[in-house]
Amino acid sequence: MSAPYRLEPQPGEVLDRSQPVRFRWDGREYDGLAGDTIVSALLASGVDCFSRSFKYSRPRGVLTASFVDPNCTVQVGDEPNVRAAHRRLAAGMDVRPQNAWPSLRYDARVVNSALARFLTAGFYYKTFMKPQRLWPVYASVLSRFASGGCTRPDAAHAYYDKRYAHADVVVAGAGPAGLAAAVAAARAGARVMLVEEEYDVGGHLRWGDPADLARLAELRAVLVAEPGIEVLTDSVVTGRYDDNWLAILQRGRPGGGERLVKTRAATLVVAAGLVERPYVFAGNDLPGVVLGTAVRRLVNLHAVRPGSRAVVFTANEEGEAAAADLQRVGVEVVRTVDARRGEGIARALGRRHVQGVELTDGWRHAVDLLVTSTGWTAPTSLLNMAGNRPVWDPTAARFRPGPELPDTVFATGGIVGDGTTDELVAHGQAVGEAAAARARGERPAPVPPLGVRPHPAMFRGPTHGFVDMSEDVTSKDIVAAAAEGYDSSELVKRFTTATMGPSQGKLEVVNTVAVLGEAVGRNMEQLGTTVWRPPYAPISLGALAGRIFEPVRRSPMHAWHEAHGATPLVAGQWIRPDSYGDPMAEASAVRRAVGIIDVTPLGKLELQGPDVPKLLNLVYVNKWSKLDVGSVRYGVMCAEDGVVFDDGVTGRLADEHYLMSTTSSGAAAVWEWLENWLQTEHADWQVHVTPLTTAYASINVAGPRSRELLARLVEGIDLSPEAFPYMRVRTGRIAGVENCLAWRIGFTGELSYEIHVPASYGLHVWETLLRTGDDLGVVAFGVEAQRILRLEKGHLIVGQDTDGLTKAFSAGLEGLVKLDKDDFAGRPELVWGSERLSDAPRLVALQPLDPHLVPAEGSQIVHDHSRIAGRVTSSRRSPELGRSICLAQVEPDLAAPGSVVTIVLPDGSRAEATVQPQLAHVDPEGSRLRG
Amino acid sequence: MLLIPCPHCGPRNSSEFRYAGEGRRRPDVTAVMPPEWRSYLYERRNAAGWVRESWYHTFGCRRFFAVERDTVTNAVRPGSPA
Amino acid sequence: MAESRAAAAQPSPVARCPVRPAEPVEVRDGWEVSQRRSAAPLRLMDCSPLGKVLVHAEPDGRAAAALAVPFGRSRRDEGGTFVVGSGPGEWMLLGAVGTGGALAAQAGALPDDRLVTAVDVTHGRALLRLTGPDAPALLAKVCAVDLRDRVTPDGAAFRSSVAKLATDVVRDDRDATSSYLLHCERSSGQYLFDALLDAGAEFGVDVDGFSEGTA
Repeated sequence: MSAPYRLEPQPGEVLDRSQPVRFRWDGREYDGLAGDTIVSALLASGVDCFSRSFKYSRPRGVLTASFVDPNCTVQVGDEPNVRAAHRRLAAGMDVRPQNAWPSLRYDARVVNSALARFLTAGFYYKTFMKPQRLWPVYASVLSRFASGGCTRPDAAHAYYDKRYAHADVVVAGAGPAGLAAAVAAARAGARVMLVEEEYDVGGHLRWGDPADLARLAELRAVLVAEPGIEVLTDSVVTGRYDDNWLAILQRGRPGGGERLVKTRAATLVVAAGLVERPYVFAGNDLPGVVLGTAVRRLVNLHAVRPGSRAVVFTANEEGEAAAADLQRVGVEVVRTVDARRGEGIARALGRRHVQGVELTDGWRHAVDLLVTSTGWTAPTSLLNMAGNRPVWDPTAARFRPGPELPDTVFATGGIVGDGTTDELVAHGQAVGEAAAARARGERPAPVPPLGVRPHPAMFRGPTHGFVDMSEDVTSKDIVAAAAEGYDSSELVKRFTTATMGPSQGKLEVVNTVAVLGEAVGRNMEQLGTTVWRPPYAPISLGALAGRIFEPVRRSPMHAWHEAHGATPLVAGQWIRPDSYGDPMAEASAVRRAVGIIDVTPLGKLELQGPDVPKLLNLVYVNKWSKLDVGSVRYGVMCAEDGVVFDDGVTGRLADEHYLMSTTSSGAAAVWEWLENWLQTEHADWQVHVTPLTTAYASINVAGPRSRELLARLVEGIDLSPEAFPYMRVRTGRIAGVENCLAWRIGFTGELSYEIHVPASYGLHVWETLLRTGDDLGVVAFGVEAQRILRLEKGHLIVGQDTDGLTKAFSAGLEGLVKLDKDDFAGRPELVWGSERLSDAPRLVALQPLDPHLVPAEGSQIVHDHSRIAGRVTSSRRSPELGRSICLAQVEPDLAAPGSVVTIVLPDGSRAEATVQPQLAHVDPEGSRLRG
Repeated sequence: MLLIPCPHCGPRNSSEFRYAGEGRRRPDVTAVMPPEWRSYLYERRNAAGWVRESWYHTFGCRRFFAVERDTVTNAVRPGSPA
Repeated sequence: MAESRAAAAQPSPVARCPVRPAEPVEVRDGWEVSQRRSAAPLRLMDCSPLGKVLVHAEPDGRAAAALAVPFGRSRRDEGGTFVVGSGPGEWMLLGAVGTGGALAAQAGALPDDRLVTAVDVTHGRALLRLTGPDAPALLAKVCAVDLRDRVTPDGAAFRSSVAKLATDVVRDDRDATSSYLLHCERSSGQYLFDALLDAGAEFGVDVDGFSEGTA
């Protein structure tokens, strides 16, 4: 298609006329030029409507021609919510309107406009409240009308990247002041990041007159010549957090994704410039009503003629410059309405596009373009995030930064005041030098403030119009909300949703406050503005999520498990084999012959030094002073409140050399716990703790034939029961590997050896065990089989059979707690608790009367058919007994052996179970274990 | 994100640390009575203003150390042990 | 027990690295390692077979003086051992393949007024080397520590979160090219390796087989 509104080349244009770009809009093909935004290309082709409004489905055209344009949000391919007045055109783009149903031209919801009086402020809150049972219906109806594009779950995902950065000075905004600040800071030796939301540096100079362009060329030349400045364009500082931790969003990355640059800056210079403020009057949202800056951008950057006949309503130089630009390119400016002379506009006329304008003096002009330049808003968001509260300046007629700022945050440029380009550059330079000095740790002298120029305070004409175009909130809605009692800025914002749309209030907040002020008879100073929070600019969820880091831990035998069909079990960071297909058969094989299980995740801490026994006595509830070399002891650790938090065995390998094992999930916490005692309470003790969890591959060899199997592989260890009895540790050579440890312990209740081999040889030893024990019937078993076996044996698992309230006495561990020790972690509570032992819940073994019923873990146990009196903590079918078995926490009066308790199952039915005389269901005497 | 001044590693992001609570002293367990012990276990000053805190550098030197933090402004400075 | 039979029946043990080696694979010095050789500018190598010893001693004692490197710095000693000040009162020694035991014995015997311990953690740590001009840019995608010369010059050592994993990092430039040694718990070695490859895709990072005699 042709481009009837494309102008001849303009001095500051960013177009490459030699590169046409073909794209689709709403199903039809169009041509633009490289350098066009989607909107500028469409405007050049004569398209004037880009969206339908959120509530009333009114046609909307370009307003600001920048990222914040509330009316130019489109779908590009699979990407929703693309800012079409910012996004550069690319060949083949498939651009579609995203808030029009069934189409942009004929929108079924336009009927909403007729219902406008029912859709006033708070409409959603009031209408869709009751009855609550209809909420799902409301949701499905409303979602039809809500804006937003569509995402396809099967769409190709862009690569959303993350990186960290460090800078002495970050400058947010590369207008003349920001450029000057960046260069000055770099010249003072600082490493600078200059972040600019547009595609190029220069700010408003880019769409200025020849003098502005010449000045920009100078500034750019200086910037390019200055090393030490990293320039990020099409990027934005979206958040400022404690200690200048900045979220910088880099857009337009290769592949389409955004990148989050998490930046730590010594100092931050906010040079965000000014945002032009729309004016409120009837018809102010019609296509053809645009801001002065939008005209200047479209004409000078994109060589687009925004109309043919125009009225320009202005209160400042920018409006005059827009009028001059229009005249220069052949647009007839039929009237410049100057607010400073008391002139004004009453309403824009037209239905699908501006057809005329009515002035306050009653004159009407037939036009297709109405330009307003009525004031500025300082986007102080980043300063607000640093604790600054903006203050209304009646002279400048805008909120300006208040006095309070951390000494590592600076501001320059339009956001703080007005000035000529030279004045802005001078202020920027001074601020840049100060920021660099502060980054070096110096205390720079305060920079003299920029002045402000008087500007008339202009918000609304004599008619009502839209205050927030993203949210379709009118000035009438604000007045109505005030009448209902929502009389503060923050309340009216939440009630009407004004300022809560995608432009984050940059266009809307001042007018919202002003209209509220009119309604409640208070001025801007009294009302104040709303608080701007992160993000400064919208950010995609993909960028926030980014590449996700979730560390994974694998044992040296992991590849073997995978190759042998193991069902993976994710346990914290570890991936473990749950079973290799049939856990019941695996468990039976262990009881019958021999099995091996990978227990590498078991925590292992090497303890060395003369004071290790003191440490063990302190962290375990039992006594450790008399542990012989070569012996192993089971211990339980309590927190200071007496609650059990970990258990395991510790062995004495040499005189001052111990190895402590912990639960798999508790390894890190126990290490920190030991360090805590050693560093804070007993810094005089000589103990060194070295975590060796993954230095060893750990394999439990369990079953009546485990000794026979191991005997084939072990050198230097006498495995006979006399030489290597239960609860002993030995070192030697296993399968040709030196420096292996073997502990004779048994979680499964069978004769078993836990061997720890240097991790690099784990796979070798594992495979050798299986090969060597083939004739013995050796099998690999997984975590599930181990859980069955240990439950048969009545061995508890901390965190499963205990919970966050289980003190040592309630875990069947009363025999272990040695209160006659002077001190150990948790002792005071255990001492006092021992005086009321009869009140404490007990850990007991249960067997359901129905041997086929396996109660779900967590099922409650009730007393007198109603009161909760405990719960089932572990429950499985026992292959050994051919029946269901459980562990449970119960109230003490239910704990007597032979008691029958009532279990409530998840489906509400009840089952009965008998309390067993001891925790072990299988081999309570321990003869297998000790054999 | 806060920068925590680790006395060994220098300033690092707070995400590298575990907050180990308000600085407090463990009572003498041989003499302590329940009210004092439970105050030690469960009661926190939670003051507005400068407080002494203990942090553990999980991802770094793995040392416990003290810092002082202004809970109003989130300003942080090195602290001395309790 | 039948020790003699045990010794005879077994093949000699092969040590495996924490990272699955890239093809082609060979067994060298008892370790299964990759023979792959990369000429890419940015390369990632699994150096886990190198001997690794963790030493604990008083930071200002005689043993510390003998180790002669403070926390945060590293140096190569006369014997080719790479001594890293890996923590307050903590050192990591890196030596040639098979030297872990001897290094531990030597360091554990350093005289001091207080306790000195040295543990051979050769099998407990994954050790990677990332080399290339873009190595700092790659690391900046997974690590929040400032890698610029001013903060992290050649020879600097620190421990921090790398891809959310507690990882020791030592800057050890090679022929004026940025190079970093990274080591973490062995069980997370494959995770760290994969995370670095993913972060480095935009820089064309390539896998290089183990080829170093020493660190």
